[in-house]
Amino acid sequence: MSFLKKRRKNSVKRPLFEQDDQNMETNKELLKTSLQENIQHVKQLLGNSSDIVIREIQIGKKQLVKVCIFYTDGLVDTNSIQNFIMESIMLDIHTGQEQILSSQQNILQQLKDCILAVGDIRDVTEFSSLLTSLLSGDVILLVDGHAQGFTIGMRGGKDRGVMEATTETIIRGPKEGFTEKLRTNTALIRRKIKTPQLWLESKKIGKLTITDVGIMYINGIVNDKVVEEVHRRLDRIDIDGILESGYIEELIQDETYSPFPTIYYSERPDVVAAELLEGKVAILVDGTPIVLVVPGLFVSFIQSSEDYYQRTFFSSLNRMLRFFCILIALLGPSVYIALTTFHQEMLPTPLLIGLAAQREGVPFPAFIEALLMEIGFEILREAGLRMPRAIGPAMSIVGTLVIGTAAVDAGIVSAAMVIVVAITAVASFVLPSYAISQSFRMLRFPFMALAASFGLFGILVGFIALVLHMCSLRSFEVPYMSPFAPFIREDIKDTVIRVPIWRMFSRPRIISQKNNKRVQSSAPKPPRNNM
Amino acid sequence: MKRSFTMFIILIVFLLFTAGCWNRRELNELAVTLAIGLDKTSDDQYLLTAQVVNPGEVAGDRGAGSSPVIIYSAKGKTVSEAIRKITDESPRRIYPSHLRVLVIGESLAKEGIGKPLDLFSREWDMRSDFYIVVAKGMDAKNILKVPTALEKIPANKLFNTLSLSSKVWSGTSAITLDELITDMVSEGKQPVLTGIQADIKGDEETSLSKQNVERIDMPARLSYNGLAVFDKDKLVGWLNEKQSQTYTVVTSKEKSTVVDVSCPKGGKFVYQVMSSNTEMKGKIKNGKPEIDLNVHVEGNISEVECPIDLTKTESIDQLEEIYEKTSKKVFKKAIKQVQEEYKTDIFGFGEAIHRADPQAWKKLKKDWAKHFENVPVNIRVQGEIRSIGTIDNPFQEKLK
Repeated sequence: MSFLKKRRKNSVKRPLFEQDDQNMETNKELLKTSLQENIQHVKQLLGNSSDIVIREIQIGKKQLVKVCIFYTDGLVDTNSIQNFIMESIMLDIHTGQEQILSSQQNILQQLKDCILAVGDIRDVTEFSSLLTSLLSGDVILLVDGHAQGFTIGMRGGKDRGVMEATTETIIRGPKEGFTEKLRTNTALIRRKIKTPQLWLESKKIGKLTITDVGIMYINGIVNDKVVEEVHRRLDRIDIDGILESGYIEELIQDETYSPFPTIYYSERPDVVAAELLEGKVAILVDGTPIVLVVPGLFVSFIQSSEDYYQRTFFSSLNRMLRFFCILIALLGPSVYIALTTFHQEMLPTPLLIGLAAQREGVPFPAFIEALLMEIGFEILREAGLRMPRAIGPAMSIVGTLVIGTAAVDAGIVSAAMVIVVAITAVASFVLPSYAISQSFRMLRFPFMALAASFGLFGILVGFIALVLHMCSLRSFEVPYMSPFAPFIREDIKDTVIRVPIWRMFSRPRIISQKNNKRVQSSAPKPPRNNM
Repeated sequence: MKRSFTMFIILIVFLLFTAGCWNRRELNELAVTLAIGLDKTSDDQYLLTAQVVNPGEVAGDRGAGSSPVIIYSAKGKTVSEAIRKITDESPRRIYPSHLRVLVIGESLAKEGIGKPLDLFSREWDMRSDFYIVVAKGMDAKNILKVPTALEKIPANKLFNTLSLSSKVWSGTSAITLDELITDMVSEGKQPVLTGIQADIKGDEETSLSKQNVERIDMPARLSYNGLAVFDKDKLVGWLNEKQSQTYTVVTSKEKSTVVDVSCPKGGKFVYQVMSSNTEMKGKIKNGKPEIDLNVHVEGNISEVECPIDLTKTESIDQLEEIYEKTSKKVFKKAIKQVQEEYKTDIFGFGEAIHRADPQAWKKLKKDWAKHFENVPVNIRVQGEIRSIGTIDNPFQEKLK
């Protein structure tokens, strides 16, 4: 152990990108007055990258002024550049009034005020911000003789467009899902919640990727402490790149070494909007359709947006079904192992004989048998996700053969075990959130080991330990298991059952105490028919 | 903190592997024993016979045509010794948790069943909900040898037949280990057990083989027959059918049965008992014990073989009255016979006296067997007819 310590000491805090840090320093320098110098400098900083388009133009009627346009090919809307920048400064000037571009001094102001028919124009004076804007898809316009330029918002280029959410499918409810573009995603949420209280704060995270991150919440409902905490945790991030919201999740979550996710995520705008209305904070990351929601509580992972669109009875039954499925997914194989290897007296006699008959000739103990089948299933699941689409049908045929009749006929596993493993596998996918179903699928392996060693006693001890662990978790200072532990009677309304919408008077207590009232009593009152 | 946590996890993992799966038994390492037979051999040893299920034959369609059960037997000076010794023969450990029936050979029952039963109530692998029966006039091993049809496993046949017949006919009594022991140790009540008989016709070679179940009229059969009367733990005699039924009525064990009663103008009708409850009260009259039995029976008319107008309430009352009289006579006679012939208090009259007058019981209990013989029993039967079935008057009348 001691040599590990030494190594750890040696590797203490060596900045990963020392060179890079220096680069950043140099970029702080200001623009020069000479256009040529500026162009040269930009070219040098970007290493002559071929996707940077640098277009030098001369404009004006009497005096010609040198102007240069920079943009990154593919990130900008080329049509708009043609129509609103090029055309304006090269053609429209000649048809316009005389005094335009007559004097050099206020040429920048004139361009901004009278010529460029574009909404989003900002001044730029430093190379660093110039480069950031350029590489984010803005158009840069520099004028000779001025140590100043514009960034013109012309972001465009190809993106996927709003499509149906693929990871969370429902029958009733909006079909749209988030896209990879941050701006589209914020718009999708704004379209659902139009109150001016819906606030969006932005950050750039990742030294090299400089990823846009948006923090969205409803002011007046959200707990300000949580927002502050989100800011604090995001600001602490010091990393080269953020490629997906998973990076952010790992960097800001409360507990890394827990099987349970403490940050909720969704691909559906309606889900995120609902969470915002409960007083939670959404973290949107550019480049991924997955939006994080904090604080992430256990119940969130059991709720599906469809629960609120369906009739209340079915929703409540579905909720109960999900909790039941958690138990099956977690304990299915382990209870089977415990019963068949330790507690045979608990089985009804005909069942015992039936199971014993199936086990005749099975070479492995029940634990190994279950382990084989479970691992077999996990392999199939993972392969099903990773393999090329075209192999799918072949794969499913092989899969049904492996975990199925062939294995039983070959006498390697018993038929009952196939049933147990199959029902466990299906039950784990009943949960609307893939993140939590992963947790329970993983946890069933230790439970199987406990069952094989200590029987039901082991399962019980393991379950107690699991519950203790879950109750000890916190997400952004909110207890993970609330409203079960701490128990909040009012908030049970949206957990194991889902009461009618008009009975959900208040927002979850534990998340934010502010502005708690949700619905006035608005129970439907159909007129009495006196006819 | 983090290191100690890691160490903790590592220790847990070690624990899992070093615990060695204590007490783990795979299903295919068990000899699921559904019936055990106990006999006494001539050299004063126990002969234990275990009827073990051959699971592959019973369930699933992979049967190879061998017998659904196998019997293993071993001798031993104690029951435990015999059970362990079975492994000389059996490839798997005897697993008795699912035991349905314990058959005791008549010769052992006559010597006393108290000692061998200790293991069955002490061993934690055993549940106490199995039935105990006595092999009437034969060894228990012979009972367990008989192949049965319908229920492939003979032990299940024994169990189901007994629980059914005790419910529907009430000539038998399904007695479990805990009930037996309670009665055995009670001073004011003696146990009974149902008798089982194997009726083997013809050649044993064929009738005790699979061919038995291939015949429609099976040459070898198992059937229950009467109750065995015990004095403490020793068998003293057998009750006939009427006495057995009286026993179940008096001890309130009767669930349902049918009784044939004569009609007022000749012929018979059948009274079907649906529920029966007996109140037993003891009392001391002039220093002598006395028993009052209050039998309350509800039932239907299930068969009428005589001319009678059932549409009239008077005739129903009449029938009730006749039933009450007849059954009172039957009960009285049967109780008298038990008192005189066996002199053991299987009805629990002693307990009733004990409940009624504990002081008097203290004096009586020493030689209760003698008192029991002469206890006068006052019986009152109250029979009610609830329904007469789907037709009213018997149609035989119109045949004339």
